[in-house]
Amino acid sequence: MTTRQGPAEKADPFTAEMIKNGLIVACEEMFYAFGRTAMSPVIYEVLDYAVGIANAEGELVAQTPGVPGFSGVLDFVASDVLEKWRKEMRPGDVYVLNVPYRSGTHLNDVALVLPSFHKDDLLGLIINKGHWSEVGGMHFGSWTSDATEIFQEGMQFPNIRLYLEGKPNRDLIEMIRANSRLPDQTFGDMEAQIASMKVADRRIQKLIEKYGVDVIRASMDKLLEDGEKLAALKLKGLPKGTFEAEDYIDDDGITEDPLYVKAKVTISDDAFVVDFTGSAPQGKGSINSPLPGTVSGVRETYMAVMDPHALANAGFFRPIKVIAPEGSVFHAVRPAPTSTYWESMSYSVDLVWKALAPHVPDRLSAGHFLSILATILAGVDDRTREPFAVVEPQPGGWGARNDGDGESGLVACGDGETYIASNEVYERNMPILVDRYELNIEAGTGHGRFRGGFGVIKDYVVRCPEASFTVSVGRAKYPPWGVDGGTDGTPNTCIVFKHGREPMVARKVGGLKLVRGEKVSLRSGGGGGWGPPLERDPERVLSDVRNEYLTVEQARDIYGVVVEGMQVDGGRTQRRREEMRRGHRERRP
Amino acid sequence: MLSNVLESPAGLRLGIDIGGAFTDLVAYDSVTGKTAWVKVETTSADFSEGVRNCLEKSHVRMKAVDTIIHGQTLVINTIVTRTGAKVGLIATRGFRDVLEQQRSNRRDMYSFRYRKPESLVPRYLRLEIDERVLSDGTVLKPLPEEEIGKAARALAKEGVEAIAISLMNSYANPSHEEAVAEAVKRAAPDRFLTVGSEVSREWGEYERTSTAVLNAYTMPKLTRYLDKLEGTFRDGGFPGTPLTMLSNGGMATFDHARRYPITTMESGPVAGVIGSIAVAEGLGLKNILTLDGGSTTTKASLVQELAPTTGTEHYVQRDENNPGYPVFVPTVEVVEVGNGGTSIAWIDGIGNVRVGPTAAGALPGPACYGKGGTDPTVTDAYVVTGLLNQKYLLGGDLKIDRSLSEKALRPLADRFHASVAAFAEGVVKLANDNAADALRLVSVQRGYDPREFALIAYGGSGPMFAPFIARELEIGTIVVPSVPPGVFSAWGMLVTDVKHDLVLTQTLRLDVEGNLDDANATYRQLEARMVAIFEQERFGTERPVVFRSADMRYRGQEHTVRVDVMPGPLSLDNVGELIRRFHEAHERKYAFRLERSVVEIVNFHVSGVLKVGRASLPERPAPKGSAEKALVERREVYLDGRATKWSIYDRALLPAGSELPGPVIIEEPTCTIIALEGQRARIDEHGNVIIRQV
Repeated sequence: MTTRQGPAEKADPFTAEMIKNGLIVACEEMFYAFGRTAMSPVIYEVLDYAVGIANAEGELVAQTPGVPGFSGVLDFVASDVLEKWRKEMRPGDVYVLNVPYRSGTHLNDVALVLPSFHKDDLLGLIINKGHWSEVGGMHFGSWTSDATEIFQEGMQFPNIRLYLEGKPNRDLIEMIRANSRLPDQTFGDMEAQIASMKVADRRIQKLIEKYGVDVIRASMDKLLEDGEKLAALKLKGLPKGTFEAEDYIDDDGITEDPLYVKAKVTISDDAFVVDFTGSAPQGKGSINSPLPGTVSGVRETYMAVMDPHALANAGFFRPIKVIAPEGSVFHAVRPAPTSTYWESMSYSVDLVWKALAPHVPDRLSAGHFLSILATILAGVDDRTREPFAVVEPQPGGWGARNDGDGESGLVACGDGETYIASNEVYERNMPILVDRYELNIEAGTGHGRFRGGFGVIKDYVVRCPEASFTVSVGRAKYPPWGVDGGTDGTPNTCIVFKHGREPMVARKVGGLKLVRGEKVSLRSGGGGGWGPPLERDPERVLSDVRNEYLTVEQARDIYGVVVEGMQVDGGRTQRRREEMRRGHRERRP
Repeated sequence: MLSNVLESPAGLRLGIDIGGAFTDLVAYDSVTGKTAWVKVETTSADFSEGVRNCLEKSHVRMKAVDTIIHGQTLVINTIVTRTGAKVGLIATRGFRDVLEQQRSNRRDMYSFRYRKPESLVPRYLRLEIDERVLSDGTVLKPLPEEEIGKAARALAKEGVEAIAISLMNSYANPSHEEAVAEAVKRAAPDRFLTVGSEVSREWGEYERTSTAVLNAYTMPKLTRYLDKLEGTFRDGGFPGTPLTMLSNGGMATFDHARRYPITTMESGPVAGVIGSIAVAEGLGLKNILTLDGGSTTTKASLVQELAPTTGTEHYVQRDENNPGYPVFVPTVEVVEVGNGGTSIAWIDGIGNVRVGPTAAGALPGPACYGKGGTDPTVTDAYVVTGLLNQKYLLGGDLKIDRSLSEKALRPLADRFHASVAAFAEGVVKLANDNAADALRLVSVQRGYDPREFALIAYGGSGPMFAPFIARELEIGTIVVPSVPPGVFSAWGMLVTDVKHDLVLTQTLRLDVEGNLDDANATYRQLEARMVAIFEQERFGTERPVVFRSADMRYRGQEHTVRVDVMPGPLSLDNVGELIRRFHEAHERKYAFRLERSVVEIVNFHVSGVLKVGRASLPERPAPKGSAEKALVERREVYLDGRATKWSIYDRALLPAGSELPGPVIIEEPTCTIIALEGQRARIDEHGNVIIRQV
């Protein structure tokens, strides 16, 4: 096989722009084609997948992730495939990979790779990584919070050939079917994944037909150059220096001990370096993040501070360097389980965010509730004898901004265009009652010149003889952080109401049995505040009192605002605030 | 002036469309079959003034008018500018925050300062009532009568202008909402009232509440506006009942619009789609894509078997970074991209050329208009390449200064060391690539192959974008209708039927025999309601034609597919046919079928259509003789990297049957029609221009 020969013909600026759009459209068409034809709700509803196109060197030129947590996983896949297969790669080959440590996240996320050729020359790789509903393992659905080694989490595909020159590897496919609890669905999703990659390849072949292969190559290079240029431009706008943050992960799901985590972010004119050295070793349980997951997390915050609408490709990500010691919770090694890797990965997003928030206030907010609060409520509907399952994240409170209050009831940073299901739809489809779905005013939120958004309370009541409940609640011990004198937010929690027993506060629960009439109350926390509460505009405090976000007492005690008859008493407020400021000074000499 | 062409003493039909820049009136004389139109500037401070100006300018005798069909942008403007009423909401205990929580998605997913659309009812105006209906319609907690009056009075005291009622599971049993409505009418009789289940009977508490709140939010303003307009029509001597265009592609009385303003939200763009269908029908085309090229945006829609793509999942102010507000009422799907005739070309931070979404609009307009605009627009690029007339547009009413276009484009061209002409050509191509996105979104992304469709182009810039887009998407046929593209939406209103839709969520699996009886009962109930709605609208004794359809799915899956349902009762004998239709539709849309899965109905749809007479396609005066007489000039056009002489024709002088091989340009006052090399334009007997790829 040959690679590029001679200098490529350069496209004029308009043609380059149209080819760039064409490559992005190819990615988008692949994205929609998979979403439309997949058989699992986790693909077409949750959009738990990402697609991309890499050049022949394995550099990602364009990608479309369904959730932001998937923005860093595709290029690891590309380079892994090239390293192993480049010499014998043929048109029509398809490779399958899901081993977390080198190029993955958890075993459910299965990457397929289709090389794109022009005649005998490799032009690039088309990649589609999606969450398969079932890859075997100790529990239904494969991912679990009680695994202690990867072998309990399902099948491993160590970068092997699923198709050879367009012909399926039937033995492997039979093996996959035999080891999945949902063979038809898994096989259907896999076929949809391959079909979508062919859609992208057809679009690329059309571009080649229209513009010629050299122009396409040159445009791919230009996409990367543009990404690099944009990164350099955006880096100029960031503060230079070293910024640090530390925190704790509640526990690893097996033991009760918190895990210390820290990040050092160093920004210079041409680099964005994140060093997680000093963070805890990988845990016993499945919360460990493999390196690609950690890099994804860093990239997410990088996008947020640089330009949330930038075209994310290898060029744009070039300044990033991630240092995570092998064997740490941010760089798990075999045989660590990783199936709830998002519990650690979200901290790689959050630590960089926390370190930079005071310094990049126009791009970031204070800390948010962070945990996905992954919830499963499942059982058999006794009216129809059919199984049912609620599988969902919970929304929560986001942090305040330097110019406004935080948002209430929004999905966490690990989720994106993720819709929380309608309660009416749940009640119709499943034997459950949603007793209330409202803002979590009881727990409060982080206070400040601008306050955090509120979390939510969702109460599920079981209306069938028996159901099983699983939840993974993070940030139950260590609440979201405030900025610049704003107070911390409030922790996430879950309360289980069993007949004849005191309400039970739960953090990580696996397969708890509930019977008819019993209730679980999922409660996410409020985000951190920004700026000192005593600097909050009294009219905003009044509005919060009127809207019952705050009580009159809280207004007085936290904000020093005296509200009487739905009006601010200006004189008493001024005196009260002076008093409180004096008190603060005396307490902190 | 219209009175010269429309002299019949009765039988005139008027379509009046208010757009962002212009208010258009098209009149059709049903006796003579003649069509005429006028255009005035839109008066955004008081839209009814523009309508009055239009009527005055037209000199149409209102006594001779028997039908007026009106489309307005007041409802959508009220939402976009946040100038609606102060609304109070009555909700179920434990659910008043649904409006604020929304669906919790972060559409702009890399932004850590993301903000949801603000809740249009603040928390203190969202009051709860301790009642609860279950998903099967049974009552868990009865309605506490005394709480309702208290809530209504409290909201009235807070000074709300309108009250919306939206309770949990009211789609399954609206009786609690109805009882609350009665109590509110007694306690606060002078407030506008929206009952959620009257506007939508689909499941999804956030979407239904949002729809109800937006209805209440726009109700006072639209009511006052329509009252005023109706007064104007009456004062002029109009004897009939004025009608309003609806988002579902049909029309209804002003009374209906006053009660359900939210169902009129997309009336303008939708009227263009309905007009396109009439044109297609006349030409024997069944599957079309519509291309509405505006000054700041391009809109597209897909029509299959002469039926527009209609759904209830509609949003207002939604784009790639903002979720917008759900408005779940039947709406013809129209997709919009920020690329139009006055979109501005610019160079981004890293030195790449971009076109749009910022646009010069009507003011200051493209540089070549000489109205003070200095940014290079798509129109300027068309002028410089010679694709647009370089001396005048609008039939001479608008002078064009080509040198101003060159001046605007030159600094950008210099940065790329390109000639102004070459750079202008680049802008033309890039703009067309952007505009093609609108068509990709409605076709390729939904699983349709654009090559199987014809393209109907209208709007000021539609016909000048169409040949490029058709070439890119390999569309074989373009139609530029004989109706002037600038008043096409207003004309579309004249070919619209009275139409109502009812949608009801009721999940029924089709493998249980008793369920078929329930399905039949539901259809009968919806059809009875449909007949009642038409009776209320007082269209004489004529009964609507009723169509049944259903949103169906495989049990266990979330997504549904819309399927036409056979008329008459469903039974074990014909349910197989319905299931077969579903498998087929599912495979078309999602590329697979699950033959062994249980199939269920999720939503029952009933549409009622009453045809009340339509305008026929206007005949253009057909000049005799040869096409040569229509040749205006031979102009130099710069395209594909070289300048060549193109023939320019005057559309008004082209006889029917003329065949013009591309490259060729056909000019008329409100648009410029282009056929590229490899395309061929033909003038048909109606005066439509049909361009085919050869």
